[in-house]
Amino acid sequence: MTTKKRYCSWCLVLTMAAASVAAVAQDLPAADAKERELMAVLQSDAPKGEKAITCKRLAVYGSERCVAVVAPLLADEELASWARIALEAIPGAAADAALRDAADKLQGRLLVGVINSIAVRRDRQAVDVLVRKLNDTDSSVASSAAVALGQVGGQPSAKALTPSLATAPAGVRSAVAEGCILCAERFLAQGETADAVALYDAVRRADVPNQRRLEAVRGAILARGSAGLPLLVEQLRSEDEEHLGIGLRTARELPGLDVTKALAAELAGLRSNRQPLLLLALADRDDSAVLPVVLKAAREGRKDLRITAINILPHLGDISCVPVLLEAATEDDAQIEQAATETLVRLAGKDVDADLAGRLSPSRGKLRRVLIDLAGQRQISQALPEVASSLNDADAGIRGSAVKTVAIIGGHEQAPDLVKLLLATRIASERTEIGKTLLTICGVHGSACLPHVRPLIQGRDPELHILGLRALAVIGGSEALTAVKSAMESAAPAVQDEAVRILSGWPNKWPNDSEAGKALLALAVSAENMPQHVLGLRGYLQYIRGNKQLSNDEKAAEVKDLLTHIKRLEEKRQVIAVLGETPSVLAFDLLTTLAEDSALVEEAYSAIVQIAAQDIQGLSKEQRRQALQTVVDKSGNDGTKQRARKALAGIP
Amino acid sequence: MNTKRVDPGRRHFLKTAMQAGACLAVPYVIPASALGANGGVPPSERIGLGAIGIGNRGRYVLGCFLREHDLRCIAVCDVRGDNRRRAKDQVDTINGDKDCAMYIDMQELLARDDIDAVLIATGPNWHATASVMAARAGKDVYCEKPCTKNIAQSLALAEVFRRTGRVFQAGTQRRSLPNFAYAVELAQTGKLGPLKTLHAHPGGLGTDMSGWLPAEPAPPQEQVDWDMYLGPAAWRPYTSKLMNAFHFEKGGGMVGGGCLEWGSHCVDLCQWANQADDTAPVEYEPVNGQLHARYANGVKLVMRNDGWLPLGSCPVRFEGETGWVETGDDAEFAASSESLLLRRGTKIPGYPADFHVRNFLDCIKTRALTRANADAACWAHVACHAANVALFLNRKVRYDPARHEFVGDEQANRLRGEALREPWRI
Repeated sequence: MTTKKRYCSWCLVLTMAAASVAAVAQDLPAADAKERELMAVLQSDAPKGEKAITCKRLAVYGSERCVAVVAPLLADEELASWARIALEAIPGAAADAALRDAADKLQGRLLVGVINSIAVRRDRQAVDVLVRKLNDTDSSVASSAAVALGQVGGQPSAKALTPSLATAPAGVRSAVAEGCILCAERFLAQGETADAVALYDAVRRADVPNQRRLEAVRGAILARGSAGLPLLVEQLRSEDEEHLGIGLRTARELPGLDVTKALAAELAGLRSNRQPLLLLALADRDDSAVLPVVLKAAREGRKDLRITAINILPHLGDISCVPVLLEAATEDDAQIEQAATETLVRLAGKDVDADLAGRLSPSRGKLRRVLIDLAGQRQISQALPEVASSLNDADAGIRGSAVKTVAIIGGHEQAPDLVKLLLATRIASERTEIGKTLLTICGVHGSACLPHVRPLIQGRDPELHILGLRALAVIGGSEALTAVKSAMESAAPAVQDEAVRILSGWPNKWPNDSEAGKALLALAVSAENMPQHVLGLRGYLQYIRGNKQLSNDEKAAEVKDLLTHIKRLEEKRQVIAVLGETPSVLAFDLLTTLAEDSALVEEAYSAIVQIAAQDIQGLSKEQRRQALQTVVDKSGNDGTKQRARKALAGIP
Repeated sequence: MNTKRVDPGRRHFLKTAMQAGACLAVPYVIPASALGANGGVPPSERIGLGAIGIGNRGRYVLGCFLREHDLRCIAVCDVRGDNRRRAKDQVDTINGDKDCAMYIDMQELLARDDIDAVLIATGPNWHATASVMAARAGKDVYCEKPCTKNIAQSLALAEVFRRTGRVFQAGTQRRSLPNFAYAVELAQTGKLGPLKTLHAHPGGLGTDMSGWLPAEPAPPQEQVDWDMYLGPAAWRPYTSKLMNAFHFEKGGGMVGGGCLEWGSHCVDLCQWANQADDTAPVEYEPVNGQLHARYANGVKLVMRNDGWLPLGSCPVRFEGETGWVETGDDAEFAASSESLLLRRGTKIPGYPADFHVRNFLDCIKTRALTRANADAACWAHVACHAANVALFLNRKVRYDPARHEFVGDEQANRLRGEALREPWRI
């Protein structure tokens, strides 16, 4: 058997094993029978691989009955880990007893494994065994026993572990400390706080690795509750960065309003580079005492602390923060201003929206600009009347903000004001921004904007005329198209060119507008200006491509007529692309002809494959085969050849 | 199995902290000056990094770390000689010296006092065990996904990082990317109305088991340390067919594969959107090639491989009563209304890990919870493992997140954990 075949066989075995487990798991009588069958495998001369997978399956539905068969494998270096998969999972006293029994017989790694399984099962009857192993000369055995005692928990475990904190060999002491901490957690969960505190304190005072002491410090603080505050503050003031770190973590966890207040009081006294760290920890506490502290920090003090506080406020702030944030947002410091504005954008609540809208009317200067920006960013629709009135503000900054905000919350009612503004200003940047807003409004509100846009195309300013045409393109419809077409007759070359450009792109938005099709065809056929001719051709091809009113035969016929006007290869390639998407006999014939041009042959072959791969009325299988075989024989493109071969194979 | 309930105070803290993380632009950002990270950082204040399990993915993430100026990679560790040497070259090139140490046994790397944090990208078999070992050794941990092999490991991971106070970041970097965070923000802040259904791409739903393949001659230890490679996985003879560390024991002891491939990302994002970083769905059922789950708050979670809009890999879709949003790795959006996307922010396609790495490094300094902290990662993985159990058993299962057990379902409960090979433990 080859390696590959063997691998496949094993995969099959595993798949079957998995399927079998799933099937049997749904049917308990079947599971009973299956368990016996699998026990027989373990008792047989089956290969170890088979026994290993059998253990895994017994973990799912083995019962106490199979324990006696699995347990001997705990002494097998290759199968012990598989046996423990079963024994850790099987409920009942038999598995516990088997593991205890093995713990008395095994040594080294195998013994460590068994002890680890006892720990997972938290077998209280194993405490005596574990206490004996705590003094094992093999430090890995003693260490696993110490942790297992912690997992089991209870007074006997604590009693065994506590003296070992001082007496255990250095290599075992970390595990003893871990066992003590685990034991303390069990006490705490059972409400035996004093015992927990005693264990935590014993560890933090012991000569154990620093990480264990940090864990004990955390536990000692949390177990004491509010009484743990002095110890917590001690960490925050510590010169040791690790103790500061555990203090910051624990400051987030220790509950109580009094704790928050005490930590807030500590904030001012901390050295300055630690204040932002404690403020962040406070912010994660989320009780009523936090917000005033953060708000105060946002209002006054060092810049980095202020920015930290301002950045916290979106998450826990409310309407009461608005005045402080607005004040910050109107300061001259760019970083403070940006942080405050972003926070105001994100501060949750409809009451915040109403508050900000209400402040607009009496506001002036920078504050008014900030409020208008916020009305846009927060989409505060009730602010629209005030924002709209600012479109004519004498302050260019306020005007600019109003223009941007109208794009977001405005309606077609604002279009006349925007047009008036456009007509009134000569400043290029202002025109650009107003133009963007007008296009946005036209895009959203469509034909309702059309009467308002008309003055732009009626004036003599080519720049505004062009903008008006763009607005019409966004609005769409016959009236808009008529205006665009008439602009093609404009005396201003820039306007004329823009009108043609807009018309050529018209089918992308309004593909079924036959009036656009006619105008584009006229350009394609008779325009003397080359760019306009090309745009007409391309636009008309797009029109044909997207027009759902035309059948594929009709589309191909239209393309055939158009071909007589096409001279450039670029447009012929576009024709080929359209034909490839138009499965019909005529398209096939046209492509066959186009393939005779060496400059177009590969594009044509690709499109021929596209069509010949389909069953088309009027095109025989033989014709399709011949065409595809020609592509296979003559194409220089491997991808096209591959597609042709695949299509050939698909013809029945 | 530990059935201890999550402490309510802790739960409240997690909820608060994770809500904070929803707003990407300002996720508890503190000025760089307060962290000593702007401008030059003295060598003595740089974070000492160790990198463990540095294959292809590991080298990519290591590259993200090495771009940060406030750390220095000190050592690399891999059971494969070729990986060790490549990773050392990568580090030495950045450090401009030849000092990066190499280890086969991660315990030796973890014993170094000058290493503050580790990147773990060993492959799923080792992820949880190595992370826990690192935390016990006093290291902060960035661990690639899937982070755990089963429900028991997920719970243990969270418990150990809570106990040790170490910082953990799961390698679910989409939590730090603007498009995913923005979609989550829309869901969390009610912009979609009350949430109804969350959709996650699992990247497959077929469960499997690894096993015991025929033995091949083992290479020298310097080339491949097979015993360390197996690590906590049950023993089996050497075979080159299991040498793809990512696929070996992929997410699975008893039940592997399944929805973990992308679920550890996409289900995780759904958890975040539903503000469920401290819990998991309570029902799981295979339905017509999909996996349907339900949270206690009534929100439905659908894991499906098809029917997605073309927005890139790892897509998610959040549906509320009044709106919906869908996004993926292209960083594009589809939404029920354009106005929902007004503040979508910067487009960052291609799921880079740089931002996630930066968030990890910042949290090392602030000791705050990371975007993908151990509790959030725990529950996202619990959801995936519970879904896998339902897929494996091919039937509905009910899960009690408070008691950490399937309800009245012994077979499912036996699939919650799996013994680790000696001498390893979690």
